Amino acid sequence: MSSWTGRVREFGLRNLPPERLLPDSQPAYMTSAIYLFGALTIGALATIIASGTILALKGPTWWHVQSIGHFFNSIHLWSVELFFFFMVIHLWGKFWMAAWRGGRARVWMTGTITFLVAIPCAFTGYISQQNFDAQWIATQGKDGMNSLGVGAFFNVLNFGQMYSYHILLLPIAVVALVSLHILLVRRHGIVPPLPFDDSVAAASEPKP
Amino acid sequence: MGSIVDLNGRASYVHWHFFLMSVPNLVVVALMLIVFALALYLRAPGARRPKDDK
Repeated sequence: MSSWTGRVREFGLRNLPPERLLPDSQPAYMTSAIYLFGALTIGALATIIASGTILALKGPTWWHVQSIGHFFNSIHLWSVELFFFFMVIHLWGKFWMAAWRGGRARVWMTGTITFLVAIPCAFTGYISQQNFDAQWIATQGKDGMNSLGVGAFFNVLNFGQMYSYHILLLPIAVVALVSLHILLVRRHGIVPPLPFDDSVAAASEPKP
Repeated sequence: MGSIVDLNGRASYVHWHFFLMSVPNLVVVALMLIVFALALYLRAPGARRPKDDK
């Protein structure tokens, strides 16, 4: 029996051979602009991670005291806006082409869970701003959390806990889920457009 | 953006029966719908038309 490293390699090569992981070409239907929005979402996520890393290095109050900090805070905010903007359009596009077809249920589910995890990731950012807006949102949010019965585990008035969730735990979850989502897309291929219904086409043709 | 629209004041809201949404959120939703509709009809930049699609 081979070692665990060998078994992992064989598993990887069996499920994701190099030509499938990093293909040379894509199907012709991918020339439609609707297929761009997954990649645009990843681009926005990369900008979020890069700007968030710089903000984390300088601390949560940096953006209040230096204009360069304010600049990176704005980059972080607007890349989050674009992340959700592109992700929702990606979601609409995939929903209307029934992207779970052809054994792609796990691709669809990892995308859905990513969306759900990204929401508290953004919300914890709003309460990490270190201003009155953050305090207001936290005091409102704690009522919501308590109404769900999870206030003892997620105390939104505890800045340290929420900041840890925002810059470490939830970003790790989002990046891991996005990575899994992309690997599953590579494994199963991009979902093709829905088959054209010939009977509908025939009915819409002008009668001789 | 801030020089075109004052982003420091309170947002205006559209309130119609049960529907209540701030104008900035409404603008974002409208923009998403427009971009989605355009994306269905436009080709990706730099994409070449397939030979069998004329």
